[in-house]
Amino acid sequence: MALKVFSIPALPRVNNGAARMLPVATLLLTAVISVLPLQIPGYAALTPVFTLMVAYHWTIYRPDLLPPLALFSVGLAEDLLAGSPIGVNALLLLLTRLAVLSYRRYFVNRKFPFVWSGFTLLTIAAMFGVWALNCLLNLSFLDFRIAVIRAALTIAIFPLASFLLGRAQRAAMGTG
Amino acid sequence: MRTAIQRTTVPILVLLSAAIIVLGKADQLLFDSLRTSVGDAVAPVLDTLAQPLNAAGNVIDRAKMVVTTYQSNVRLEAENQRLLQWQQTALNLAADNQKLRSLVKAVPETAVSYVTARVIANSGGAFVRMILVNAGSADHVARGQAAMTGEGLVGRLTEVGDRASRVLLITDLNSRIPVTIESSHVAAVLAGDNSERPRLLYLPSANGVKVGDRIVTSGEGGVFPPGLPVGVVSALDGAGPRVEPYVELSQLGYVLVVDYGLARALPQPLPVLTRPGRRAKLDGDDGVVR
Repeated sequence: MALKVFSIPALPRVNNGAARMLPVATLLLTAVISVLPLQIPGYAALTPVFTLMVAYHWTIYRPDLLPPLALFSVGLAEDLLAGSPIGVNALLLLLTRLAVLSYRRYFVNRKFPFVWSGFTLLTIAAMFGVWALNCLLNLSFLDFRIAVIRAALTIAIFPLASFLLGRAQRAAMGTG
Repeated sequence: MRTAIQRTTVPILVLLSAAIIVLGKADQLLFDSLRTSVGDAVAPVLDTLAQPLNAAGNVIDRAKMVVTTYQSNVRLEAENQRLLQWQQTALNLAADNQKLRSLVKAVPETAVSYVTARVIANSGGAFVRMILVNAGSADHVARGQAAMTGEGLVGRLTEVGDRASRVLLITDLNSRIPVTIESSHVAAVLAGDNSERPRLLYLPSANGVKVGDRIVTSGEGGVFPPGLPVGVVSALDGAGPRVEPYVELSQLGYVLVVDYGLARALPQPLPVLTRPGRRAKLDGDDGVVR
């Protein structure tokens, strides 16, 4: 069982160096995008979790090109950059990989609504976890509504992110 | 062997992340230098990326202005008339004040200087209210200084790198600012709770506060100049009056970092007030030159 959980099935080999870098590059890019100061009222608190979308997408389609170490480093960098409690994003992205890899076979080659509903469940669990962890770290009861709205925004934007990532993936690697 | 490594990487990294979370909480200074160096390293990139965003914001503002030119003009003309009267009053008062100060031989006010910095990142997290600005110790900015806009106080500098600094906004859960109620001179502490309107804590009695009272910094602690506008009391409820900040904190483009000379003039550097639970730290041991 454990073997199944952690082993990565053989995927078509990508030889192009730039294409191999794509998953890590997009993860890094979204980490930077998520701290950009968009001048929209309330945006800072409700920024969608872009890195979660990227981690989910690539863990389903190319887990071999988004290694755990990349998830860990980018998550840590995002925490350092955003000023959020250090380690939380790193943990979130790694647990995402664990969760998605163990159910991966149900998601590959499935229609988008199915993939989206998987992401919905993941995001709800993730936002609740992040909220609970932040409550614990601050030793106070934080506004739960923010976690709910943030989860809703993240879920709502996922189709667009998924479309763009899919396009980039096909352009770089030729496989859907 | 390969699969063994593959199988253990994730659990090890998960444990490592958990350990980092606990360590980061236990000793909040532990990752400070890492934080500032990451901020410094990414600052040029963010600076470049933030510029078009600012420009886009300006375009939208300008478009709005074009639409409202006529009404604005009428309003501003009237306001200008009123302000000219105020200017006369202010000039008279300033002259009076100077005369009286010299009569009572008051200590001259410390000069305040400003550094303008662009906001290059915001916290991007639901439970932190912080911004990153593109001024650091190279621009003579130091920990503990106040960040403001023309309208009022924005927050306090908590980490200062060479090129970038982090500002803890007054709405953050961990922000505590010594303030006074302007009309009654009653001292209080403005405590953020991640909502848009922070609370007033440690008031001697709630009776002295009314909705509409102006809240300004008290200057206690010596790092902030006294009298910086913070906000107005907007609601009175059980846990403490709510203060509506003058500054729209979610739409910051630029901030002014206030260098209040007093902090530098003190023989012993003051322990900078930071997050609760953080041990007080003397300036100088973090490599920041004041």
